[in-house]
Amino acid sequence: MLKRTPAAWALMSPPALALVAFFVVPLILMAAFSLRPDIRGGLFTLAWRPTLEHYRTIVEGEVYLPLLWTSVRVAFGVAFFATLLAYPVAYFLVFRARQRGPLFLTLLILPFWTSYLLRIISWKIILGSNGLINSLLEYTGLVDEPVRLLLHSRLAVIVTLVYVWLPFVALPIYAALQRINRSLLEAAAILGAPPWLSFVRVTLPLSLPGVLAGFLMVFIPTVGEYVTPLLVGGSRGRLYGNTIETYFGDGNNWPLGSAMALIMLVGVLALVAIVARLVNLRRFVE
Amino acid sequence: MGKPGTPDLPRPIASQMEETMWTKRNRRYSATAMLFVIALILSACGGATPTTAPPQPTAPPPQPTEPPQPTQPPPPTEPPEPTAAPAELSVLEWAFYEVPEMWVEFGEAHPEVEVTFNFGASNPDIYAKTLAGSGEDIVHFYTPDLQFYVDEGLIQPIDTSKITHWDEIPAGFQESCTIEGVVYCVPWDWGFSSILYRTDKVPEGIDSWAAMFDERYAGHISMYDDATSVVPVTAHMLGYDERNLTDEQLEEIKQLWIEQRDLNLFYWVDEPTLEEGFTSGDIWLAFAWNGAYYRLLSAGVPVAYADPTEGRESWTGLYAISATTENYDLALEFLDGKLGEQTATHLLVDYAYGHVNPSFYEVVEDPNLVEALALDDPSILERTNFTVPISAEERDRWVQMWAEVQAAP
Amino acid sequence: MANGRLSTLLGYYVLLLVLLYVPIGILFLFSVNDGVVLAFPLKGLTTHWYRDMLRNAALIEALRSSAIVAAASSVAATGLGASAAIALVRFKFRGKALFVAVALMPLLVPFLILGVALLILFAALDVQRSLWTVGVGHMIVSLPFTLLIVMSRMVGFDSNLEEAAQDLGASYAYTLRRVILPLIAPAMLAAWLVAFTVSFDEFVLASFLIGRSPTLPVYLFGQLRFANRFPQVVALAVVVMIASLGLVVLAEWLQRIGTRVSLDRRVEESGEVQERRQTVP
Repeated sequence: MLKRTPAAWALMSPPALALVAFFVVPLILMAAFSLRPDIRGGLFTLAWRPTLEHYRTIVEGEVYLPLLWTSVRVAFGVAFFATLLAYPVAYFLVFRARQRGPLFLTLLILPFWTSYLLRIISWKIILGSNGLINSLLEYTGLVDEPVRLLLHSRLAVIVTLVYVWLPFVALPIYAALQRINRSLLEAAAILGAPPWLSFVRVTLPLSLPGVLAGFLMVFIPTVGEYVTPLLVGGSRGRLYGNTIETYFGDGNNWPLGSAMALIMLVGVLALVAIVARLVNLRRFVE
Repeated sequence: MGKPGTPDLPRPIASQMEETMWTKRNRRYSATAMLFVIALILSACGGATPTTAPPQPTAPPPQPTEPPQPTQPPPPTEPPEPTAAPAELSVLEWAFYEVPEMWVEFGEAHPEVEVTFNFGASNPDIYAKTLAGSGEDIVHFYTPDLQFYVDEGLIQPIDTSKITHWDEIPAGFQESCTIEGVVYCVPWDWGFSSILYRTDKVPEGIDSWAAMFDERYAGHISMYDDATSVVPVTAHMLGYDERNLTDEQLEEIKQLWIEQRDLNLFYWVDEPTLEEGFTSGDIWLAFAWNGAYYRLLSAGVPVAYADPTEGRESWTGLYAISATTENYDLALEFLDGKLGEQTATHLLVDYAYGHVNPSFYEVVEDPNLVEALALDDPSILERTNFTVPISAEERDRWVQMWAEVQAAP
Repeated sequence: MANGRLSTLLGYYVLLLVLLYVPIGILFLFSVNDGVVLAFPLKGLTTHWYRDMLRNAALIEALRSSAIVAAASSVAATGLGASAAIALVRFKFRGKALFVAVALMPLLVPFLILGVALLILFAALDVQRSLWTVGVGHMIVSLPFTLLIVMSRMVGFDSNLEEAAQDLGASYAYTLRRVILPLIAPAMLAAWLVAFTVSFDEFVLASFLIGRSPTLPVYLFGQLRFANRFPQVVALAVVVMIASLGLVVLAEWLQRIGTRVSLDRRVEESGEVQERRQTVP
């Protein structure tokens, strides 16, 4: 390892500066903003006194924290099902598809290249009362009336999000499974372990870092999701992100929105820190 | 991977060569990739249309003193053209209103004036833009935002003596523009908000706003996603004055709508979604504007527009003149032209929106449109609740209430 | 053992693939449907949406804006990420762990929050929202990816070549340009592709930070309410998907050629090496 300090500084300064200026500082500003009483008098004057009233609104408001918890649960459900559904696919690609693996993986990822918004819209068409599923159900005579619960509901949000994230989750699981040393599996077989046992005792534990990475990759963005609820969620499907977006849009209450955002950020980071401590994530990063 | 701790043996030359081979090939790819990127950027930059706002007008040209008449040729006292800088007027408008048919009279009277339009997407958007200083001469917004503009000093009073059609406007509309006796805007387009319902799904009809909370229609109701529409309607239903809602009253309204959420299928934000809901049969009744009523009627969907005992709601589009404009008189003429016959005809017939000047209602021949705007029944307008101006704080209070309704578990 | 599980897993993969492509199929149907509302049975097939799409100036403008933002932000993110990766792997200095932690943090922040925070920053600095502000946001969220990709390549080979070059008298800048960069070029390309992809379809940050000219996703969102123009947008999405499929196929094919070429040369080289070894005492 070289120790040329000037070169190191030259290389590190641009990225470090960019991160500080456009990531750290904005978040600090947002935190400071959450202490303003309102945005009257322009957005950046110094003539205001810090107040915790927004945090009080959120904590005492009876709707905000339960909504955050709901969003966390929805995000957990989406991440869980996406990971669950993606695992067998990744397993298939690594252990069965062999040479064709990358090709099949590409086929899987390809839908990801269509516009995210349009994929959500297409689900509106599938889940709607005149849509694909209901037409099929009515045609086969399973139901007399369209099942309205499919669209404009929290269920629609979950289904749509699982669909959107599924190809993406397969990637880290695929990578982790690929890294498994095949000789370990051979050893297990030689020692007389049946296939399911070698899966449970060898493959699964070794693939867990990839599973965890995939899970978090879906969970974190979904906690702040607001677009899908807006399009397919209906009245009951709204999530925490929708309310934040309202306060930054028509609601015109940036401080309250910032307070909400900060609480969510702290919550997510705390959750990740706990999980990382439990699993010793550093091992995976290296 | 190079592992620390292994002896530093020189790697086999073959793999070293392979590496340089690989780097040569990939250098070629990187070069092509960079070329691709550069080509993309160049093609994107070259020929890009400028999107910045046009420069603001400097000195206003001398104005003719006579206001232009709709059918006469332009007055002879036109300012000299070739050497003077072309006059400009800028308007902060909503999409689709920039077409010349929407300002026919002014366009005919002042062909030398270049009218430019910047667009806003919603009331809060237009307010935010004006507050940020986007600098248009004329602003078009809808009730109940008038008070905000006045409080922030963004607009100036209208000299109604120069508006030839002012006296033709019904009192209700005139009052939407008047705050403490001073007229700050010119009303232009208007419409109803009432309950639109499918006559085949709701055969018993609807005569009260309470139908929005009726459990018989669970899962088939749609409310407009806008706090400033929600609160007045509920206030009128409960008999409260929406300008002076106490905290308890607001809380009561909030609880009502939280319970209503189980009956509501979705909150609509744009009319196509709402109309699709009606056409497909998902929605049986909804808070809707007359435009949706008219379009669904014309499409043959069996709908009716309620006349609730509490009265319909009504919204009005208001044109105001910026406090910092240098073209006050020109702007006044523009607004006056908006109230003229040709513009009114286009608004009524092409857009199916109400025009505030009733003298032109007879141009409407389409019976569906007459029905939608209740043009043949002026008593409906008399029983209608016009939107009242509210302060920004009040609006924020309502919005927070509505956000909490939607956030409730 | 293999057959039973093979067909189950294969069947599962195929089923999932089909399910994944059903919505894509629906979008495709929508783009050739002769009508504005997609309802079964279809009324007729037409390609006029594709023609309309090409004539829709606003749509093409949005596409152009998206391309500009994606290109610029991905180049910036790749440059910054590579720069940091080189320094982190090859140099010793304090604060490495902190930097990596902060650099990877955008992965942990939902885009909504980042969008909001950047909005506040730009409002505070009185910077007009524009494509530039969107580009900045995209650069930040792409940085973790580019950093990780280039870093994993950097740890893949040791510093022999660089040290050799410096022993021979080269300055560090020269070493950087002629030794390191060529070696990590493929990783930088991969990083650039990832960053481009992230930016091109990104909606949340763009919707908060956009000025007057929308990127494609923001434009799309605004068109959702205009049913009669919607199929054109879908047509564009189908075109984008086919184009990316084409790119992927091209990349696969190029890589296959490259591997074959290098394998052939390798056989040649090892033949030469064998001869040379024999001549050295």
